[in-house]
Amino acid sequence: MSKRKIQFLVTSLVVVMAWTALSGFSPSQAADHPLKGQKIEMAILGIGGWLPSRLGVDMSPLFAEYAKKNYGYDVSFTFAEAPFSALFQKAASTLATRSQEYNIIISDSQWLGAFAEPGWIVKVSDLIKENPELDIEWYDRVVVDTYMEYPEGSGELWGLPEEGDTIALFVRKDLFNDPAEQKAFKEKHGMDLPQTFEDFENLSMTDFEKIAEFFTRPDKGLWGTAMQYSKEYDFMTMYLYPFMFSRGGDIWDPKEYKVYGILNSQVNAEGMIWNKRMLNYQPPGAVNYGIAEEIDAFTQDKVATAFQWAAVGLAMITEQNKDRVMVVPPPGFKQADGSLKRLYSIGGQPWVINAYNDEAHMRVAVDFLKWWYLPETQLEFAKRGGNPCVKAVLEGPGFEDIQPWFRAFKYMLRTDRSRDFWHDPKYSEMLAAQQEGFTAFATGQIDDPMLGLEYAACQQQKILYEAGRSKIKPPKSCDDVRLK
Amino acid sequence: MPSFESVHTQTGESTWARSRSGIGGRLRALRMAWIDNSRYFPLMLLMPVLIFFLLWNIIPLLWMVGMSFYNYSLVTGQPPRFIGLGNFVDLYNSFAVWGALGKTFVFVFFSVGIETALGMLLGILFWGSTRLPGRRLALTLLFSPMVLTPAATGTFYRLIYEPTFGVANYLTILIFGAKIDFLGDKFWAMPAVLLVDIWMWTPFMILITLAALGSVPRAELEAAEVDRLPWPQRFRYVVLPHAKFILMLGIVLRTIDSFKVMDLIYQLTRGGPGNTTEVVGITLFRKAFEGFTMGWSSALAVITLLVAIAFTSIFLYILNLRQRGGAN
Repeated sequence: MSKRKIQFLVTSLVVVMAWTALSGFSPSQAADHPLKGQKIEMAILGIGGWLPSRLGVDMSPLFAEYAKKNYGYDVSFTFAEAPFSALFQKAASTLATRSQEYNIIISDSQWLGAFAEPGWIVKVSDLIKENPELDIEWYDRVVVDTYMEYPEGSGELWGLPEEGDTIALFVRKDLFNDPAEQKAFKEKHGMDLPQTFEDFENLSMTDFEKIAEFFTRPDKGLWGTAMQYSKEYDFMTMYLYPFMFSRGGDIWDPKEYKVYGILNSQVNAEGMIWNKRMLNYQPPGAVNYGIAEEIDAFTQDKVATAFQWAAVGLAMITEQNKDRVMVVPPPGFKQADGSLKRLYSIGGQPWVINAYNDEAHMRVAVDFLKWWYLPETQLEFAKRGGNPCVKAVLEGPGFEDIQPWFRAFKYMLRTDRSRDFWHDPKYSEMLAAQQEGFTAFATGQIDDPMLGLEYAACQQQKILYEAGRSKIKPPKSCDDVRLK
Repeated sequence: MPSFESVHTQTGESTWARSRSGIGGRLRALRMAWIDNSRYFPLMLLMPVLIFFLLWNIIPLLWMVGMSFYNYSLVTGQPPRFIGLGNFVDLYNSFAVWGALGKTFVFVFFSVGIETALGMLLGILFWGSTRLPGRRLALTLLFSPMVLTPAATGTFYRLIYEPTFGVANYLTILIFGAKIDFLGDKFWAMPAVLLVDIWMWTPFMILITLAALGSVPRAELEAAEVDRLPWPQRFRYVVLPHAKFILMLGIVLRTIDSFKVMDLIYQLTRGGPGNTTEVVGITLFRKAFEGFTMGWSSALAVITLLVAIAFTSIFLYILNLRQRGGAN
């Protein structure tokens, strides 16, 4: 055999090996797949009316093609859904009976503990050991902390990110770019209206409040901004936390499960006052705003800006307003040293796998996740409006231009800019108590923010203590704390 | 002379007929003895319903009562732990539960009171307007709210109350020159929720009133008319004695229904603003299906059930008392 022929053969071999490695399978893998020739039906439980959750299912036919071609089995998907506030209930009622009615579930990050503790979901740490393809480099540590790990800092992983999500500021460019508005604002406040992404990066909440006040013109049906204050699920909590976290406040000590004395702090009370003050620049009824109401307010041009999840970017940016909307980081909070700090709540949902899946469904679930994190799948997800978390994808060329909110999303997807809260199994009870205390102050039911915080802290400490999760008993003074 | 075949046939038929009547007769006799004349026959007829009732009502009820003595959370993975009356003691000490009960009583008092008064008024008007053109159509339209699902009603009333584009605020601006955040204001939220419930369930009380008035003997009414009895007295002495039983039944049903209201309020305010409209049904829902505290929630459900039974008993006691008084 000539040297040239040997060179050609070696090169061909290398190309074939590289191609098979890149495409994520080997011919022997397809040929040896234990499900080859079988027909499998998979069921996904996701969040109703939530586009990123829907995308996971809408893209499932692509996986069916992939599985047929590469593994040799037929797979079809059915999709069940429930709203945020009812999804856990729907999942729990089947998992408690050890059912495999839903093979894969799109969970909310806070539910990880509640799913993991009774052993309802597969421990992803073990799965990753057996399937190194799932050992993925994520964009930032916050991805692991939020969508994967339970308990906090344990290193035990229970979920994989379906989609990342952060709070962004949606801005009406037509108003901010209007020379007349710019001039009027400059005259009134002696500063320029922010114009670029970088301008907003350097914008403080104090200055933003001036902007919100400036655009509040009820006689013209225009208000400065919109946030979420609804008592439903975690809406109020998620939009109040930035006023606490960014100003040095905290909500608990996850090591000792201590809430009382941390949540009910002066800095958090001041955060509540500020958060409530922002209602002055929002449309009437904003005190009941959730995600949907905010989308309506923004798309109906009722507000000049809106703090909103990047995940609903497709709903916020419509055919009518797409040319006059920009998405930027939400304002930071001025620190004592003059620097800006923004630490907002993080959204997004992980995939979790039903631990009661039979062997075949478990195998397909793992195949599905391997496919989900292929770069081409993640890019397709991004093009359809989903927010990926894979480092290679987020740092890929042109990523920020795929969707108008991607730059802001990527900017915020960092440990020092976004933060999740408890993944504890008792989260839902703790959340309900907190929502009650927080909304009581925001809606004027109580006048003292510290009372709302005391109420939430007492209730949460009691819940943790009675569940045996904390050794710290709520103080005797908690017996008299009530929302009047 | 009959042929062999015909004899054979006749003999065969008669034998068959005999045997048939014999078997039939025996079966009939057996059925009479074992079923028709059995003292258990009524029980047998009731059995399908009783089985259904046992499976879907009694067993879950007993299960719930049993669970109320346990500390059991669906999400901790721990088995239920017997704590005796612990949940009930906790309920007794809970400001939130007392607050929710208080709001529920306010809701029941105003909703049932206003619905009954309005329902009776409109019912009497319709009863006396048999020649009104379009009466049937008007009644049909009037009854339509109560056939809607509370979730749908809640959703469209949220839009009606919406402060920026809702019809309600269009009217408040026209009349008072100001907007009202009906569902977001602590003073307005409860009246706004009550108004929706009244809109939805007053037709039920109209229906009950019409049924009650229909039970009044025509002869007595005609006698009252001949005697030229004034309307208030005619109502008090002729109509009410006959109609009060059906009316009271309507009030009992509405009271029980109002006491366990949840879906309508959840859709309108989620119990907010703060907890100003958090009735006991919402507290129960939150604790059971958002907090998954099954033991505590079962205890609250037992208390709710007992209160509903107490309501019914009080109404029935008053009714019986008056009946006895009337008889005396």
